[in-house]
Formats: sequence, structure tokens, C-alpha cells
Amino acid sequence: MKSLSLYQEKNTLIHKFDPISKLFYIVAAIAIPIIIPTKTMALFCLAVSVALLLLGRVFGRVIPIISFSFFVLLSIIVVQGLFYYGNSTPIFHAGPLAFYKEGLTYALHICIRVVNILCAFAILILTTRPSDLIESLVRRGLSPRIGYVLSSVLQIIPQMSSTMDTITDAQRSRGMETEGKLLTRIKSFFPLIGPVVMNSLINTKERAMALEVRGFNSKAQKTFLNEEFNPPYNLFVKLFLAASIVFAAAWRIFI
Amino acid sequence: MKKIIVENLRYRYPLTKELALKDISFEVEKGEFVSIIGRNSAGKSTLCQALTGLIPYFYHGAYGGRVIVDGIEVGKADISQLVSKVGIVFQNPFTQVTGSKLTVYEEIAFGLENMGVSRDEMRKRIDYSLKLLDIYRFRDRNPFELSGGQMQRMAIASIIAMRPEIIVLDEPTSQLDPQGSEEVFKAIRSLSKEGMTIILVEHKIEKVAKYSNRVMLLYDGELVDFDVPHKVFSRDDLGDYGVEPPAFTQICKGLNIKDKETGLYPITLEEAYDLVVKADE
Repeated sequence: MKSLSLYQEKNTLIHKFDPISKLFYIVAAIAIPIIIPTKTMALFCLAVSVALLLLGRVFGRVIPIISFSFFVLLSIIVVQGLFYYGNSTPIFHAGPLAFYKEGLTYALHICIRVVNILCAFAILILTTRPSDLIESLVRRGLSPRIGYVLSSVLQIIPQMSSTMDTITDAQRSRGMETEGKLLTRIKSFFPLIGPVVMNSLINTKERAMALEVRGFNSKAQKTFLNEEFNPPYNLFVKLFLAASIVFAAAWRIFI
Repeated sequence: MKKIIVENLRYRYPLTKELALKDISFEVEKGEFVSIIGRNSAGKSTLCQALTGLIPYFYHGAYGGRVIVDGIEVGKADISQLVSKVGIVFQNPFTQVTGSKLTVYEEIAFGLENMGVSRDEMRKRIDYSLKLLDIYRFRDRNPFELSGGQMQRMAIASIIAMRPEIIVLDEPTSQLDPQGSEEVFKAIRSLSKEGMTIILVEHKIEKVAKYSNRVMLLYDGELVDFDVPHKVFSRDDLGDYGVEPPAFTQICKGLNIKDKETGLYPITLEEAYDLVVKADE
């Protein structure tokens, strides 16, 4: 059964940190390069994120994520290289357009920040089970309803996709063309999507009843099957990250 | 001690003209194993939903009469209050998977977490229900990776773990093979012997005959009969209501082999055998 989760099961120090510490890290990795907007700081934060990914043995998995955003990063470089307001030193000319050094430098600064943010999120996503993250948030006051929606979506969407495959096979077995030209595919789309949507609506109603009879709306104080693994070093990590943000802000104000 | 009291229950689904349940009244004692039989659209599933409060909470429609479950009147109490008293297992096990848990063990814990059951108690109950339904070996598997039958057992285990006073099961063995069905029936009977009240909708008549204390026959939303299995299955007009008696009962009816004292036909192989032996003597 496929799941939308990108979690990588590994036994590393990074995997052992609690999800909230990783959320703190995301906040710090975004905030610090903004508070201290130097290239050195952006590179330093990126280096820390990459080091954490390597430590978590998930660096290989982050490359496709960065590649996915490649076109966005490329467009930033092109636009800034051509049109950045401080452009003055051309690097090369392409017909009537000139590509400038200042724009490229600024664009690279933005790209480092973006890649750093992606890496920071990747640390959380690749080294934390979604259910652990949601459970941690519910323990800290997130509504169990929102928690349920977030966690169920990861499994129910692949289930809908599996239903879609079943219905596609059923329609094909009755002679429906589902592959080939674009027009053929468009024609087959509606007879396929109709049963999928209807089926999902019926399942949703039944699932809502099943949740209800399992106390989903119970007013009792919710308990948790698993004890929260929260060794003291998690508190240290959170305090360290919070202090880093405060220190960065103080640096910006006073120095 | 009466666990369920139903008085003049009438119900009509929204946007329909026909009543799905017509003036139904009955009572069920604590620890009874009651099976509901009847042809399709007889009102069996509707009655199950009325007993668990899903009607009128989920299905609004026109509702009349009273359903009292373990002293709580359905419709007047909050459904979360009813959850600790009555649990239901639906026909389709797939829709009973919450979709938010990654293992069978966690899936069964879902209801217990919502009810605020302590961690130690939770583990005891989960282990018990997994072993009772013979799915302990699947405890670390993703619920969506189970077969239909295994998923159905997990759905039953999820409700059993919540320890309600009453369990309503709507065709719980529809996706199970004969051996799996037998095991589930045995598990349900053991719960009944422990004092849990069981309401079961089932088409497997042989199993109904073998395990039930009483059988309720529904037809087009009306309660036709509610009696011990021998009496219900000995009715000559059973076929008129779209229900066939167990095979052994049919054979004995054909051969006119019945208990001379009660005038009722046997409903299990053992009973039929005893009567044939007696007749030979």
C-alpha cells in the first residue's frame, strides 16, 4: 500500500529528535538568514542543513526535491540577472538582452535561501513519521479533527488512486478506450471520474459513521497509545535554536 | 436485565415515501445473542443503525417511537455517550479503517485513545481482541495491506477492544471464508457468554441457527417473528419472507422428522442426527 509520506526509516540521531525540535529548526533556518541577510549566513545555514541531512542519511532523497524546484530557481536567476534594479556589470549579452553580475549574485543569494528552506523541511519530512508529527502537535493542543484530516489524507489519497485503477480496469474490460490520443483520454475521463467521486463520497459517509462509533467526538480527555519519546536533549535543542534566533536579532539590532 | 428496549420504532429515510421500519417493538436481555434475518431491503441494516444511534444522528428522515440502549434513550442522548454502551461493525470493512494509523495495532487503539483509556489498559484490550480474532500476527502491518477478511476481523477487533455492553454486527463475515466465518462466530459467542449482548445481521443461516439464542425475522420493515431459532426456522411460511431455513431443517421438513415433544424441526446437523437415530430406534 503506497503512502504519500516521504519518511525514510533509518536509525540515526536525527531520526531520534522529536518532531517539535525539527519544527523549531525549520523556523530557525528560515528566520536567521532573513534576520542576518548576508551570503555568509545563508551559506552557513545551508551547510548546517546539508550536514543534518547527511547525518540523517537522507541526503540522496533531498536531491529529487531540489531538482523539482529547479525551474523555479532557474527562473529566479534569469529574471534577476536580466532585470535586478542594481544591475550595472554585464557578464554576457544575448541579442538585445544583457545578463548582469549583480542580478546573478542576488539571485544566487535567494536560491541558497530557498534551497536551505527546502532542506530544512526535508529534514522534518524525511526523518519523521507523519503520524508522530501529528501526534506531537495534537499533544500540544492541535485539534484532533485537524490532526485526523492531516494524517488520513496521506493514506486515503493513495487509496482513491487505487480505486481509480480498479475502475479504469473495469471500464477497459467493457471495451472503453482509456489510452492513446489526447481526445480519447479526455473522452474516457468523465466515465472514470464519476464512479470514483461517487464511491469516495459513499465511503466518506460510511467512514464518518465508523469514526463516530469509535468515539471520535468523545468529550473524554484523549490518551495516546505510545508514550512520547522526549529525552532532555530535545529541550536543549529547542532552547539552543530559540536562543540562536534571539542572538541573530540582537546581532542585527546592535551590531 | 434488559439491555435494549425498542418501542414502536418507525423510520423513513429522507426523500422516500415508504417506511424502512414499521412499528417495531422488542426487548433484548443482557448477554443474549440475537440474529436478525430477512431478505434484502427488509430493514436489517436500518434497524442496526437505529440501535446504535446513527439513526437519527446521521440519517435524519422521519423518526418515531423509542429506542432505549442500556438505559439511554437514543435521540435524546449525545452519540458520544452511546459509544461506550454500543458498538457497531459495518458490512464494508474498508470504510471502517480510519486511514490515519500506520499499523493494525494503532488502528485498534484509535477508539480507545478517543475514549481516554489508559495506556496499560489499552494494550491489554488490544492484545486480547487481536488474539480473539486471530490477527495478532498482523499487528504491525498497515491496515490497508490486509485482505478483505483480515480487515473485517480488524474492524470487529476495533469494536471489541472498546468493550461496549452491546455489539451490533452487520454481516461481519461477508468477506470471510467458511473457516474464518466459523472462527469469528466462535469469538462472538464467547463474548456473548462473557455477558456482552450481541445483535448480528447475517445471511449464513446455518451459523445463525447454530449460535443464536433468538432470531428476529424482518420483512419489508416489519418484525414478523422474534423467537428461539427452532421456532422461527420451523415456520412453514418462512420462504414467503425470502428466507430459507438451514439445510438440515429443510431435509427434516421433507422427511417430516421433528421433535415429537415440541413439534419443532432440528436446526443443526447434530440435532437432525439425534432425531434420525431416535426415529430408527
